[in-house]
Amino acid sequence: MQRRFLSSVSVSAGGSKTLNNGRWSVKQVKKSNFKSTLDEIRTSIDSSDFVALSLQNTGSYAAAWHRISAIDTPQMSYLKAKYAAERYQILQFALCPFSLRGSKLTVHPYNFHLFPRDELKLGMPSYSFSCQASRLTAMAREGFDFNACIYEGISYLSREQESASKFLSGNPILAEPVAAPSSPSTVADTVFVGRIRSRVKNWRQSCLDSSSKTGDDDLVSSLRKLVLGSEQYGSRLCLTIDVCSERQVQLILEMLTEFADDVVPLLIASKSGGTQAVRAVFMSSKEDMDRFKRELQDLENEENRRLRGFREVVDLISSSQKPVVSQNYLSDFTSIHAKFLGPLPSNVDDFSSSLSSAFPNVVDLSQFMKEISPLSNISNLPAAMSSLNRFFAPVDVEVANQGCPIKLDESHQMHGQNAVMISQLFAKLSTIQKSDYQSSVQPSEDSYALASDQHASDENVQVWSKNSRRVSSENLVFIWGLAKKMTASTLKNVLQKSHNVFAQEFDVKLLDRSCAVVVFWQPSSSETFLSAVNNEDQLLGGSLRVMVAEGLRAAGYETYKRACRLGFWEADLADSLDKTLESSDTDLDSDTKPSEISWTSELAINFDEL
Amino acid sequence: MRRHKRWPLRPLASALARSRFCSSAAAAGAFPLKHVTRSNFEMTLNDLRSHVKAADFVAIDLEMTGVTSAPWRDSLEFDRYDVRYLKVKDSAEKFAVVQFGVCPFRWDSRTQSFVSHPHNFFVFPRQELTFDPPAHEFLCQTTSMDFLAKYQFDFNACIHEGISYLSRRQEEEASKRYDEESVDSVVETEDLKLVRLADLLFSERMKKRFNEWRSALLHGSSESPGISSGSTESAETVFYHMRPALSLQGFTSHQLRVIKLVLRKHFGDLVYIHTNDKSSCSKDFVVYTDSESDKENLMKEAKDERKRVAERKIQSAIGFRQVIDLLSSEKKLIVGHNCFLDIAHVYSKFVGPLPSTAEKFVASIHDHFPYIVDTKILLNVNPMLHQRMKKSSTSLSSAFSLLCPQIELSSRSSDSILQQRVKIDVEVDNVRCSNWNAGGKHEAGYDAFMTGCIFAQACSHLGFDFKHHSESENLAQNEKLDKYINRLYLSWTRGDIIDLRTSNSNAENWRVSNSKYENIVLIWNFPQKLKAREIKECICKALGSTSVTSVYHLDNTAVFVLFKNSELVSNFLKLKQQLESDDGPVRILHPLSKILKGGNTGAADYDAYKEICSSHISKILFADQAETVGVKSRTRPNPKGETSLETERRENMVAVTDKASDLIDAFLANRVDVKVARTN
Repeated sequence: MQRRFLSSVSVSAGGSKTLNNGRWSVKQVKKSNFKSTLDEIRTSIDSSDFVALSLQNTGSYAAAWHRISAIDTPQMSYLKAKYAAERYQILQFALCPFSLRGSKLTVHPYNFHLFPRDELKLGMPSYSFSCQASRLTAMAREGFDFNACIYEGISYLSREQESASKFLSGNPILAEPVAAPSSPSTVADTVFVGRIRSRVKNWRQSCLDSSSKTGDDDLVSSLRKLVLGSEQYGSRLCLTIDVCSERQVQLILEMLTEFADDVVPLLIASKSGGTQAVRAVFMSSKEDMDRFKRELQDLENEENRRLRGFREVVDLISSSQKPVVSQNYLSDFTSIHAKFLGPLPSNVDDFSSSLSSAFPNVVDLSQFMKEISPLSNISNLPAAMSSLNRFFAPVDVEVANQGCPIKLDESHQMHGQNAVMISQLFAKLSTIQKSDYQSSVQPSEDSYALASDQHASDENVQVWSKNSRRVSSENLVFIWGLAKKMTASTLKNVLQKSHNVFAQEFDVKLLDRSCAVVVFWQPSSSETFLSAVNNEDQLLGGSLRVMVAEGLRAAGYETYKRACRLGFWEADLADSLDKTLESSDTDLDSDTKPSEISWTSELAINFDEL
Repeated sequence: MRRHKRWPLRPLASALARSRFCSSAAAAGAFPLKHVTRSNFEMTLNDLRSHVKAADFVAIDLEMTGVTSAPWRDSLEFDRYDVRYLKVKDSAEKFAVVQFGVCPFRWDSRTQSFVSHPHNFFVFPRQELTFDPPAHEFLCQTTSMDFLAKYQFDFNACIHEGISYLSRRQEEEASKRYDEESVDSVVETEDLKLVRLADLLFSERMKKRFNEWRSALLHGSSESPGISSGSTESAETVFYHMRPALSLQGFTSHQLRVIKLVLRKHFGDLVYIHTNDKSSCSKDFVVYTDSESDKENLMKEAKDERKRVAERKIQSAIGFRQVIDLLSSEKKLIVGHNCFLDIAHVYSKFVGPLPSTAEKFVASIHDHFPYIVDTKILLNVNPMLHQRMKKSSTSLSSAFSLLCPQIELSSRSSDSILQQRVKIDVEVDNVRCSNWNAGGKHEAGYDAFMTGCIFAQACSHLGFDFKHHSESENLAQNEKLDKYINRLYLSWTRGDIIDLRTSNSNAENWRVSNSKYENIVLIWNFPQKLKAREIKECICKALGSTSVTSVYHLDNTAVFVLFKNSELVSNFLKLKQQLESDDGPVRILHPLSKILKGGNTGAADYDAYKEICSSHISKILFADQAETVGVKSRTRPNPKGETSLETERRENMVAVTDKASDLIDAFLANRVDVKVARTN
């Protein structure tokens, strides 16, 4: 049934991209077979040299200018990627551990279906997420099965969420041993502790009694329980002490150290996150106490594992320390960080250091690709692959996953091909680059270097194209509020006639339909122009004056930067810049120094043709 | 076409109850429901037109991808009606409608029963137009998605096959944009200069070819005048609007621009024409014209054709809105269950952006839907029906099983009590059916059907006699319903009812609420783990033991504090500022220090809450939301959230507190107006 449905869709879409349909058999992992596949994945990762990954998200950017472009510094690119990573959801995580021996590429492809399930009803892993309608439509055209994803997707919690949920899952947890008495106690504290101490003493005595003499009447023992407030915890006796502040918890724990030989304190969390009660559990012997602590630990591990879900796999990759190859470093790893590690930090350096603690070796394939073949576009994997055909670099792919042959009735088998393509492309590139290497490509220092220098904190963007020129961000001016729609070249013509600052060489590029950026090649021209637009008195007349009267506005690069930093992600860049100028917020920015960006004239033309 | 979802573990019972894309009631026992996707939409729409025209009322129901974009966006105890409207507005703007149930009901005097036609439309905001509208994005709430999945919602049918739509506003914008584009295409080529060698060579080559083709045409050469070369580009001779033409294929857009330039420069009688046909596949022609007037005619024809194609495209992109337009133009009585959010969704998806205030919304909705009745209002406000509900829940399913047990169980027994109930038949694809198994809950089409049944039954309890009901009589104008029509629950939990009949202020509260909004202070970012009771104690210590009436949690990071009077509100805010600017021991010893500890605690009056709710940002925690909105909108400088010790700023803040009290005065004055409006 399903197959018919999907095939009819691809027919109606008029020959969709079925390039790789069933080319490799990719193991599809869902909720039902996740647990049983985990061990296999662990072995696959351990036996491989690299890990390739590829994500399928519910969106990439909400407006044209949110896309990372040539005028963005690393920090801005990061902010844009962060904004997207926080909004969109990962629906598929394709993972392909691989190794390369000579020309033989051994791959272990997996494709995980993910869906965030708010199992604790606490807004974790996510309360909500955004979807780009066009992206979902495109996925549908490729035969994506949304039902499988939503019904059977694996949930997860990030590392930070897991530690936050510890208290909230409702299971009692072992109290941390008390280090030292905290603060001087008040009279009220002393009274409170005294009261609780006598209660615990009585209860403990009764526990000792009942364990020694067994001939007690049922009625009597249950009455005693009632009077002392004693309860059962599993097979053990316990006493629950309700608390109304964290201070009281502290006091009780301190007091209970007196009974540390046979009483173990547990903390019971309340729904709102605080501690609701302390439960003292009576241990019949030393061995019993060890056993109890072990049981508790196992219970907690089991629970954590269940909540962690898919993150287990991310942890496996991370702990293996294998180099991770991805197609798009920034967007993939901001997503991974946001979903599986913790909230994204506000600047790119913190992000890099936080990420490298989890994934020390990351290879950005697009960067690698540019080194070998500068003009290729990585965003289309098959095209990138064929562009490398001029090099002789044979790669034989061998799928090493066992027991998952392609079944004809499972057309969704085609998902997750991208990760295999990435590993293949990587293999090709390495072979080309290291053609002097005779036998094998091992993770070497070279590939590490690749990973580490690509987001070096200096504000230089690498120049790959011969046509690009470096320009300081000071020389960029954003203009918006044009009376009518124009192409970049008409706008350039109009500007040329408007002010004598445009007598010198300059370039214009449209960033979206509302806003354009002007690049001055003379250092001080931008200031002249900005002050001309912003002080109407100085305008001597001419068409610039008319344009300003009609609503033309201009701002420097700093404003653009601030718009990103303050998070004014409006649909039109013009609105964002307007809002930024309105906001009086001028809190100090760490990177106020002008930054260099590469200006590619090719890019400028391409953009117009879009 | 019969398609089943791939959900192998689907319980048998529900599998029987729901059969996907089953267009007739053939499957034994399943509730007959017309599922509509884009493949059968046009056909169904025609049938629906006649059903709606004949209907006495139309019940609707919507399924959305979510309800609240943040936990605190839920309906809360202290939400004034304007705040509540802002929350509904936020929900309708952010989430998508994925299923739309429409069920027309018609009284059939022949069989003495209602005939209903339940339709279940799958809707998806697919972008059908090629130009660049603001990116279509919507939010999904994970719990809502889980809920939909629990009831086996078919996401594939929705995303793969859902019907798209344009709102009226979007339609206007789209046609405006097409007009602009057609103007653009004329001006565009002016500034192309041939600089690159490749361009020059290409233009020379084309010039030669066009020359050959033209002379072959004029001199009647027997040779086939098509141009073709080994490469992918080709040009063959065709006829365009009765004129000989070359159809260009395989050229890049840049090459086409060069061709245009060549034609304009060197060939007065050859015209470049660019067309888009229905399948949005563009074609380019070079057309020969034999005179200047012929050329003008051709240009005009081409322009008209472009316009026609554009209009057709927009027309087809309107999609599901045609159903809404139908309901609106027929002015039928619309029946929903607790349907304010539904109506807000309908407005924002199919009419245009939601107005900024409830008053403007009320003024505008009347033009589109003059008669709306909410069955939840009917069951709660009418004393007789309220009693009949026997204090049970007035949720859709429980109201349905209580009021219409005969339909739910589909029993046609001779039980005399059941006999008195209104008879309702279901007709799908001209097959009438009065016997089915219950099921399909939370399928929008079935929910709409249930809503309609409840309404029919409730009307009968109100004393309607459908048997003597004449065709011409409009249900919506019946005086028995007058009290209930066009009144919707703005907030069910608080019992706030919005009256769509009047355009002036209309927050009516049938259950009297004593909340005095000017007595409320909002506090956020206080030390974590501080509980409501402790906060109350702190403030009572500082401002007097009876100063605080109650403290209510918005979420873990924020509370509402209800003071006894509004003076205490400004006292509290002033005191907070003083303490924050004080470095001395008072700061530590003061009872409020417990709340202010950490230095990030923010506090503000009720208007700030409204401002925070009106922001389109939605942070999960209220404290984050308040900080984000507070930082970003300095239009109304606020006394909250600031811990800076600069003196100027402090002065500024004190001034603002006064301003806030002015606002309260203004609000009080406003309140008087509201009261007057009520008594009228």
